[in-house]
Amino acid sequence: MGRIVLKNVTKSFGDTQVIPPLDLTIEDGEFTVFVGPSGCGKSTLLRMIAGLEDLTSGYIEIDGNDATQVPPSERGLAMVFQSYALYPHMSVRKNIGFPLRMAKMDQAEIDQKVETAAQSLNLMDYLDRKPADLSGGQRQRVAIGRAIVREPAAFLFDEPLSNLDAALRVGMRLEIGELHERLKTTMIYVTHDQVEAMTMANKIVVLQAGVIEQVGSPLELYHKPRNKFVAGFIGSPKMNLIEGAEAAKHNAHTIGVRPEHIEVSTTGGQWEGKVGVAEHLGSDTFIHVHGIDGCDPMTVRAAGDVAVKHGDTVFLTPQAQNIHKFDQKGLRIE
Amino acid sequence: MSDRKLPRLLQTPAVLLLLVWMLIPLGMTLYFSFIRYVLNNLRRPEWTTPSLSNWRGFGNYEFVLNSKDFLLAIQNSLLIVCSILFLTVILGVLIAVLINKAFAGQGIVRVLLISPFFVMPAVNAVLWINMILDPVLGLQGIAVGSINDLLDALRAAPLVGGFFSLWPELEPISFRATQTSAYAVIIMVTWQWTPFAVLIFMTSLQSEDQQQKEAAVLDGAGTWSQFRFLTLPHLARPIAIVVMIQAIFHLSLYAEIEIVSRGNGNKNLPYLIGEFANNNIGAASATGIFAVILANIVAIFLLRMIGKSLME
Repeated sequence: MGRIVLKNVTKSFGDTQVIPPLDLTIEDGEFTVFVGPSGCGKSTLLRMIAGLEDLTSGYIEIDGNDATQVPPSERGLAMVFQSYALYPHMSVRKNIGFPLRMAKMDQAEIDQKVETAAQSLNLMDYLDRKPADLSGGQRQRVAIGRAIVREPAAFLFDEPLSNLDAALRVGMRLEIGELHERLKTTMIYVTHDQVEAMTMANKIVVLQAGVIEQVGSPLELYHKPRNKFVAGFIGSPKMNLIEGAEAAKHNAHTIGVRPEHIEVSTTGGQWEGKVGVAEHLGSDTFIHVHGIDGCDPMTVRAAGDVAVKHGDTVFLTPQAQNIHKFDQKGLRIE
Repeated sequence: MSDRKLPRLLQTPAVLLLLVWMLIPLGMTLYFSFIRYVLNNLRRPEWTTPSLSNWRGFGNYEFVLNSKDFLLAIQNSLLIVCSILFLTVILGVLIAVLINKAFAGQGIVRVLLISPFFVMPAVNAVLWINMILDPVLGLQGIAVGSINDLLDALRAAPLVGGFFSLWPELEPISFRATQTSAYAVIIMVTWQWTPFAVLIFMTSLQSEDQQQKEAAVLDGAGTWSQFRFLTLPHLARPIAIVVMIQAIFHLSLYAEIEIVSRGNGNKNLPYLIGEFANNNIGAASATGIFAVILANIVAIFLLRMIGKSLME
């Protein structure tokens, strides 16, 4: 079980309030991702759930019990840190077994649980090595192993993949996804990478300056961003936000069109502009178009390889059904 | 191979200089230890100049081994060094952990803690033996005296007097005495060198990974377990460094021993060498060679014990 409820939670460091009153419910078994730019308070929020930071006010409930004053070790949560935080002088076996040893479990049982965890994480060959002799991905797996053996009510991940190289990150992302499918345990995952958020989450919590901007499934956030911030943050490349006369035509202060919802033509269309940089990825072409009123440059994502080069004139037409409208305050207009 | 020649050539002067610096004194000591060489002898004036014709073989070594002070000096050298190492490491770790947490006045406390290290060894010895350890005029004498006065007063008091008259009169300890002068040296050197240990441990504690500690907290480790499983292993290397440096320094203690008891009942090898060197250079050199051997034995043990943690 692992249902976590935050009620009216706030956090201040001295006089600066980093998290204004915040409510959030994380259902049992959900994979929740906290995403937001650096300094948005997502890690602080996670550390508050873990008990590593005190709450300034409000309270936290885990499985229906008030956990606000419960010490971190008794909350039944396991955390995986960005730096892995492995114990450098202990072998992998001892690292994974450490929480069990602290729980005064007997040695035979510890050995058996460690082996089970190591097997599921492909760490059997490394059990007697020290963390310093492992690669980044292996260290991350050890850190996950140390979390798994405790059989926690929920896993907390604090940017666990940001120290890995890009290829490894994709692999570990899948492994963590698999792990969630297998264990069905609540997982809370903090990242600043919206791709990680989109691919892994059941539920994404978008944060900015300690405030929850939107909570929803990845596709909800993609199709119906509640405001300009979420619209710009979710999706890659970023949504084009257009202000001024073009927006006024749709009775909005700002309109947003995702790069993949714009048609490119060399003969005619709604907007005319000049090609800046064209990024050819093979499967897609990202074209940066200059000279369009209210949005410069506008990014377009065209499927396949489009034969345009720097300086060409192109015409762009947004798909009418995929135009997002926002009012003066940046809130979505339906 | 040729690209290695130039660097070697460039190193040569420095290496040669170091070798000469080390080998000449060692060679002369060896040479003197095998001949009869004294500074002053009216009956055998030829012994006062070093010469191969005064060859004595292992005679000097035999003389030193048979002298009544030699075994005492070796025992004392080891006792003093080991006790100081033991005390400074334990006190150093405890104090470093204690002052590692932020508190008001931290800066001043740290400076005060470090300051004993800047006192000259001879001054340190004079201060301790006269002002603190002296059985009459020192702090010890005054403290023991006041406790005795208090006890006297209590004995005279009604009701409780009977109980306190069962208590013995306290005797101050004379630290210049044969049996205790080594302890005086251990106390004062520990006082002086604990700050060194604290300083090194403190810098090491500040580089301790905080996320590891947080992970340990979540894993259910209490304060003691964190200290035992994270902090102590983290300190293994600085402890090794402190032990090594201090072992080197304390094998050659001299000033404290001279001032506390003039070697009375408390000699270490350097002090014994000093005593022999008053006249008998041959015996002093032989003792010196023994000291070199002892230092090497200690070094081998230390490297065995400590080398592992340094290499990791």
